[in-house]
Amino acid sequence: MTAPTLTKATGGAPAAPPAAAIPAAGTGQIPPPRATRRLASLIRAGARTAGRGIWASGAILLFLLLWEFGPTYLASASTRVFLPPLHEVLRALGSLIAKGQLQDHLAASLTRSAIGFGIAVVAAVALGLLVAWYRSLDRFLNPLLEVFRNTAALALLPVFTLLLGIGETSKISIVAYAAFFPVLLNTIAGVRTVDPLLIRAARSLGLSNFRLFQKVILPSAVPTIFTGIRMAGTSSILVLIAAEMVGAKAGLGYLIVNAQSSFLIPDMYAGILTVALLGLLVNYLLVAVERHFSRWRTAVGSQSN
Amino acid sequence: MTRGTGPTPKISLRNVGKEFTVRPSKEQPEGSTLTALEGITLDVAAGEFITLVGPSGSGKTTLLDLLAGLTRPDTGQVLVDGKEITGPGRDRAVVFQQYALFPWRTAAANVAFGLEGPGSDGRRLSRKERAEKAREYLDLVGLSGFEDRYPHELSGGMKQRVAIARSLAYEPDILLMDEPFAALDAQTREQLQEELLRIWRSTGKTIIFITHGIDEAVYLGQRVAVLSSRPGRLKQVVDIDLGDRSGDGDVRSDAVFVQHRHKVWSLLHEEVRKAQKAGHAKIRPDGSAPDEAPQLGKGQLSKGQLSKERAA
Ligand SMILES: Nc1ncnc2c1ncn2[C@@H]1O[C@H](COP(=O)(O)OP(=O)(O)OP(=O)(O)O)[C@@H](O)[C@H]1O
Ligand SMILES: [Mg+2]
Repeated sequence: MTAPTLTKATGGAPAAPPAAAIPAAGTGQIPPPRATRRLASLIRAGARTAGRGIWASGAILLFLLLWEFGPTYLASASTRVFLPPLHEVLRALGSLIAKGQLQDHLAASLTRSAIGFGIAVVAAVALGLLVAWYRSLDRFLNPLLEVFRNTAALALLPVFTLLLGIGETSKISIVAYAAFFPVLLNTIAGVRTVDPLLIRAARSLGLSNFRLFQKVILPSAVPTIFTGIRMAGTSSILVLIAAEMVGAKAGLGYLIVNAQSSFLIPDMYAGILTVALLGLLVNYLLVAVERHFSRWRTAVGSQSN
Repeated sequence: MTRGTGPTPKISLRNVGKEFTVRPSKEQPEGSTLTALEGITLDVAAGEFITLVGPSGSGKTTLLDLLAGLTRPDTGQVLVDGKEITGPGRDRAVVFQQYALFPWRTAAANVAFGLEGPGSDGRRLSRKERAEKAREYLDLVGLSGFEDRYPHELSGGMKQRVAIARSLAYEPDILLMDEPFAALDAQTREQLQEELLRIWRSTGKTIIFITHGIDEAVYLGQRVAVLSSRPGRLKQVVDIDLGDRSGDGDVRSDAVFVQHRHKVWSLLHEEVRKAQKAGHAKIRPDGSAPDEAPQLGKGQLSKGQLSKERAA
């Protein structure tokens, strides 16, 4: 395993020259070049993976570098005040964590979104199943649902605040509202697209309506419902942060706005960073859950189980 | 094998008719009725294997749905064991052409599907008993070791085996099969035909088997019922006697087989020609006929008027 062979192997046309040269040199010499070649291809593969990894995280790294050095070297002094470099933000984040403030705000936000989200999922799945099952109910409700669905949840924020105050109720409600429609629409779509043949098969086995629902329609609609739940997760966080910015005494949205008005700019960015990470995490989890429940749909998914 | 003449036939169709209302179309704004089946009378003895052939659109699937209890006849009666059927029941099982397996369930869980409710004796099987039965029936159709596979991990032939195992698992007396092997390649089909005969012999089920294949019909059936083109009527029932089929000789090239085959072919050919003359092309696999509406519009008489006339 000498250096020259290695460079030859990694170089332009690696395979032929060493392989042709070695037999003349003696049989005992055959194994090392083979191993060398294998190592070389391993290194190449490793380099490729690493390269791809670097390339994939390149944009993020560049962005973080820009964030770190941009304010100091590129921005004017007045802008620098509103755009602190990354290390200051991280330091602020650290101290927020040390003081336990971040955890409190995060807990407040998470509690609200979990409750609102939970209510929405239960209600939307239940209503969706009813609407999909009873055609007449669908015809009756559909126009109204269309109106509400196309009304941005945030436009209704003042109404929620007026009617329910700025307490927990209004925040949980708006989260529930925002999460409700994606789940509802996907539930309806999921039930509608159940293979009629499967229904026939189940019926021929003498299943009652209830059992048919439980054993055929629901399981078959589950992947689509989870797509709705994933979409709802993203939009419920968005709406919650906005709601907390308008009027709240705790929560990540409050942290951001409060830091801004108290001129604690690094704290503000620390809050934003937390929201971004939270969003990523929630999306990742929901995608994983969705994939788990859809694994029977594709061959790839099932192998991961 | 006795048939028809016994005290009560297993299945008895008495003057069965079925009509469908055709949805209003551009040419036929008020809609019309379509007679799919008319005056079908047929007795099937317990333990008999009867095959059903007929041109596309002659109402074979419609007849099977009636037997399964998925739909009700408009005229006449469908009796099983002398009693009129009121809906689907555990005494009958259906095997569909497109397998109809539940994709979110493994092979074993699919087979266990019919076992999950209370059984015919009102008793519920435990999870373990169900798993055992599923394994037993998967073994019967030659699929042991595939218990944990999902349907998308199985070949077409394997899927149909699972579907057959599922139908057999809750031990119905009657097996209703709608072109179960039509989607399979020739070799797999032959293999499954063989196995179906073996299962039939060992379990003594009454089997009604719909097919497009004349060979298949003659090979499998003790009798072949030929339906006429629409409206489906029973054109003729051909007795098939191939002697002992359990040997491994090539029955299909036997002189007797060829004779029977020709007989069914001629009967069917007449009907197919009639159906073609009536402008009836092949029906889609879901049973819908794309040519239905325009054909109604162009004729001088609508189907509704036609059947009224016929009734008069
Ligand atoms: N639900 C329905 N509504 C209206 N017409 C129907 C319905 N089901 C079947 N038909 C019609 O009844 C006729 C018989 O249909 P059926 O599916 O029983 O035919 P088939 O003999 O099974 O045909 P194939 O061999 O192509 O499967 C067809 O003309 C079809 O269009
Ligand atoms: Mg059919």
